[in-house]
Amino acid sequence: MATFTVLAVVMVVGALGVVLLRQPVHAALALVGTLLALAVTYVTLEAHFLAAIQVIVYAGAIMVLFLFVLMLLNVQRSIGPQRSLPGLRWAAYATAVVLATAVALVAFWDGRPAPDPAVVSLHLQGGSAAGIADVLFGELLLAFHLVGVLLLTGVVGAVALVQRHDGSAHGAPKAGGPLPAPEGPVGSGRGRKRGALAGGRRS
Amino acid sequence: MTGAWSDPVAWAALAPLFALAGALLVGLFGRRWPEPLPGVVASLAIAAAFVVAAVAAVGLLGRDAGVALTLWPFLPVAGLDVSVGVVVDPLAATFLLIITGVGLLIHVYSIDYMRDDDGNARYFALLNLFVASMLVLVLADSLVLLFVGWEGVGVCSYLLIGFWYRQRANADAGRKAFIVNRIGDAGFLLASFLVAATFGTLTIADANAQAGSFAFGAGVLTAIGLLFLLAAAGKSAQLPLHVWLPDAMAGPTPVSALIHAATMVTAGVYLVARLSPLYAQAPAASAAVAWVGALTALIAAVAALAQTDIKRILAYSTVSQLGFMFAAVGAGAYAAAVFHVFTHAFFKGLLFLAAGSVIHALHGEQDVRRMGGLGRRMRLTGSSALVGTLAIAGVPLLSGFFSKEAILGGVWNSTLVEDYGSRLLFALLLVTAGLTAFYMFRWYHRVFCGESRLARDVAAKVHESPGTMTAPLVVLAALAAVAGYLGLPAFAFPNWIKSWLAPSLASVGALHPPLWVEWLLVAASVVAAAAGLAAGWWIYERGRGALAERVGGGVMGRFARDGLGFDAAYRAGAVSTAEGLAAGLAVADRDLLDRGIAAGVTTASWLGRAVAAWQSGFVRLYALATLIGLTALAVVVAALGGRA
Amino acid sequence: MTVPTEAYVALSAALFAIGAMGVLIRRSAILVFLSVELMLNAGNLALVAYARHWAGFDALAGLSGQTVVFIVLAVAAAEVAVGLGILVAIFRDRSSTDVDALSGVRL
Repeated sequence: MATFTVLAVVMVVGALGVVLLRQPVHAALALVGTLLALAVTYVTLEAHFLAAIQVIVYAGAIMVLFLFVLMLLNVQRSIGPQRSLPGLRWAAYATAVVLATAVALVAFWDGRPAPDPAVVSLHLQGGSAAGIADVLFGELLLAFHLVGVLLLTGVVGAVALVQRHDGSAHGAPKAGGPLPAPEGPVGSGRGRKRGALAGGRRS
Repeated sequence: MTGAWSDPVAWAALAPLFALAGALLVGLFGRRWPEPLPGVVASLAIAAAFVVAAVAAVGLLGRDAGVALTLWPFLPVAGLDVSVGVVVDPLAATFLLIITGVGLLIHVYSIDYMRDDDGNARYFALLNLFVASMLVLVLADSLVLLFVGWEGVGVCSYLLIGFWYRQRANADAGRKAFIVNRIGDAGFLLASFLVAATFGTLTIADANAQAGSFAFGAGVLTAIGLLFLLAAAGKSAQLPLHVWLPDAMAGPTPVSALIHAATMVTAGVYLVARLSPLYAQAPAASAAVAWVGALTALIAAVAALAQTDIKRILAYSTVSQLGFMFAAVGAGAYAAAVFHVFTHAFFKGLLFLAAGSVIHALHGEQDVRRMGGLGRRMRLTGSSALVGTLAIAGVPLLSGFFSKEAILGGVWNSTLVEDYGSRLLFALLLVTAGLTAFYMFRWYHRVFCGESRLARDVAAKVHESPGTMTAPLVVLAALAAVAGYLGLPAFAFPNWIKSWLAPSLASVGALHPPLWVEWLLVAASVVAAAAGLAAGWWIYERGRGALAERVGGGVMGRFARDGLGFDAAYRAGAVSTAEGLAAGLAVADRDLLDRGIAAGVTTASWLGRAVAAWQSGFVRLYALATLIGLTALAVVVAALGGRA
Repeated sequence: MTVPTEAYVALSAALFAIGAMGVLIRRSAILVFLSVELMLNAGNLALVAYARHWAGFDALAGLSGQTVVFIVLAVAAAEVAVGLGILVAIFRDRSSTDVDALSGVRL
C-alpha cells in the first residue's frame, strides 16, 4: 500500500509536470519520470515483462525520440498565456476533474469481489515473457501480425514524410548527418529524419 | 326528354344558349372584327332568343299550364335532389319577352352609341352575357339555378357599371353595386337553406306546392319570406340597399337602360312573384315587402326632385317605381306588379335611351342645368321622351296609367296586408304618384323645353341622333303608349294580362268594394298625376324655375340631392369601420408580423452564429468538445450506478 | 494487503484527465503530443490493473490483458514516429508549432 501511494504521488506529480512546466524539455523529462514510476507499478501488478518493455521502449526509445525532435525544432519556452479562447483553460480544468471523478466513482461502485492473490500468481506467473509469448503467438496471433503491418506502414510513412518534392530523400548540399538511429527493440520502427536536420528547407 | 323537345314552348330553353353563344363569339373574337360587327352579331344572338321566346309565348296562349323540363342532374344529394331544369310558364314567358325584346332594341341602339369605343367588343360580349344570365334566372326551376343567374347578372352589372374602368369613380361605383348586392345574396342563400330544411327540396314548384300545407302565417314561412325580401331588396335597390343604383349611372347609358331599368332590377320582383304561394301564406313577410316598397317609392321620389344629373333623376325614379312594384307584390296583387314591370320596361327604357341620345348629342354633358330647349333641335328624341314622361306620370290611356292604377287598386283592396295598414300604403303611393309626375315634368322641361342653357361650343354641334338610335326610341314610345290596353282595370273591363298570368301566380282573395269606390280610386290617381304636372308647369314654365332654384339650393335640397343621408350614414357606419379595421390590420401586419418575423430571423441568425463558433477551425476547441462528450458519457454511466 | 484494483483505476483516471487537460492547454504541438502519450499510458495502467484482477478468476484473462498492453505499446511507438514526422514536416513548412496557428481544419 505504501508502495502504491508513493508511486501514485510520483506519477501524478510527473503528469502535472508534463502539463504545467514551461520548458518543453522539462515537461518531457517529467514524463520520463512518470513512465519509470509506471514501470515499477507494473512490477507490483505482476507484469514484469511489461515493466521491462515499458522502460526500454517507452522511456528509452520513444522519449528519446521526443527529446531529439524537441531539440531539433528548438522549441522555445511555451508561448505565454493564451490570448485566444480565454474560457478554454477553465473549461479544460473543470471537464478533467469531472471526468476523473466520474470514472473513479464508476470503478468504486462496481463492487466486484477482489481476486485471490494466490490464484493471480498462479495464472500470471509474474507476467513472464513465456506467458505473454504464449498468448501473443496463440490467441492474439492475428493482432500480432496486424501490428507488424502497422509498423511497416509506420516505417513507410516516416520515410515518405522526409521526401522532398524533387524526390530526393537527402538534403542537397549537406549530405550526411548523424548516423541513422539504431533499430529499436521488436516492434519499434523509426523513420529517418535526415531531412529535418537541414532545417527550414521545404519538404 | 325527346318528346318534350317537340313542344315549341320548350324551345324557350334555347334562349339563354343563343345569348351565351353570342357572348362567347364576340368575347373571344370580337376584338379583331371591324366596327359594327360585334354589335351586329350580339344583336342577332338576342334576336334569335327573342324569336324563340315569342314562339314559346304564342305556344302558351291556349294552355293553362306551362312546360317544365328537366335537363340534367346536378346535385343528387341524399334527401335533396337538385337538377338543372327550366320552367316555361306565362310568368317566365312574360319576362322572357321583356328581356329579349327590350334587350334587342337596346343592342341595336348601342351599335351607334358605343361606336368608336375601345371596348366595343367587350361591351357587347358582356351585354350578351348579361342577357344570358337574366334568361337563366327567369327560366330556372330551382333556387340553385336561379341563384346562378342571380349571381351572373350581378357580375355583369359590376363589369358594365365599371365599363370605363380607367376612371376611378366608375370602378368605385361598380364595386359599390357589387358589395351592396352581396348583402342581398347572403339573404338569398340563407333563405335557400331554410327552404331546403323546411320543404326538403330546392325546386321552386315543389316548395310552392308544400307551402299551402303550412299554417297561415307560420313562422318559418315568414322567416323565408323576410330573407328573400333581403335578397330582392339588394337586387332591386330597395331601402336600405338602394344606394348603389344612382351611382350605377356611371356605366354607359344603354347599360343603365337595360340592366338598371328594364331587367336586372326587376329580378327582385320576379323572385317574390315566383314564390307568391309562399308569400301568400305569410302575411307578415308580405307586409314587410309592401312597406319596404312604399317607403322606398316615397323617399326615392323626394330624392329625384333634387337631382341635377339627367340620369340620376331617372335612377331615383327607377328606385321609386320599383317600390311601387314591391308594394304590389307585398299586397298580393302579383299580376299588377308584373304588369308594371312590363310597362315600366318600355317607358323607363325609353327615357334612358332618350337621355342617352341627348348625352350623345351634347358630347357627354349630363347636367340638366346646362341643357334646355333641345326639343326643337332633336325632334324625334324629344317627342318620344315626351311620350315616356307622360306614361310614367300616369296620364290616362298611356300604359303607365293602367299599370299604376292596377297597383293602387290592388293595394287598396288587399286582404293580405289589410291588417298592416293597406290604406296608409295606398296614401303613400298616391303621394308618390303625384311626386313622380312632378319630377318627371321637371326632367322633361329642363332638358327639352324653355331657353337653351347650353354651353356655346356644345350648342353649335347639337343634332338628332342616327337612325339606329332613334328607331328603338320610336318603337319603345309606341309600346309605352299602347301596352296598357293589355291590362284594363279589372273591376270593369277585361284584364287580359291578369288571366294570362293567373296559372303562374298565387291567387289571393281581394276586397270587392262597390263600383263607385273603384272609380274613385281611378280618379284619385288621375288627380295626383294632374296635380304633379300642374305644379311642374307652374314652377318651371311659368316661374322659370326660380322657386325651385331657391329650394334646391337650400339645406333640404342638398340633403335630398345627397340621397337623403343614406350614403352618408353608410359611409360613417360601415365604410369607416371597414377602413378603420383595414388600417388597424395594416399596422398590425407591419408592426407585429413584419417585426415578429424579423425578430425570428434575427434569432435564427444569432443561433447560427453561436453554433458556428464551434466550427471555428480551432483544433483545441474540437478537442474540448470531444472531451466534454466523453465526460458526459462517464457521468451518465456513473449516474446509472456504475452499470451501463 | 493487496492494493484494490479500484485504486489503480482511480489513478489511471487521474492521469488520463491530466493528460486531457494538457492536450487542451498546451499550445505547442509537441507538448500536445506529449500529453497524448500520457493519456495512452494511463490507459495501459488500467489495462494491467484489470488484467491482474481478472487473472484471479480466469486462466487466460490476465495474460491476455498484458499482451494487449504489449500491443498498445507497439502501436504507440509507431504512432509517435509517424506523428513526430508529421510535426517536423509542418514545422519545416511554417516555422511554428503553435496549435492555434495551425488550425486550418474547417468543417
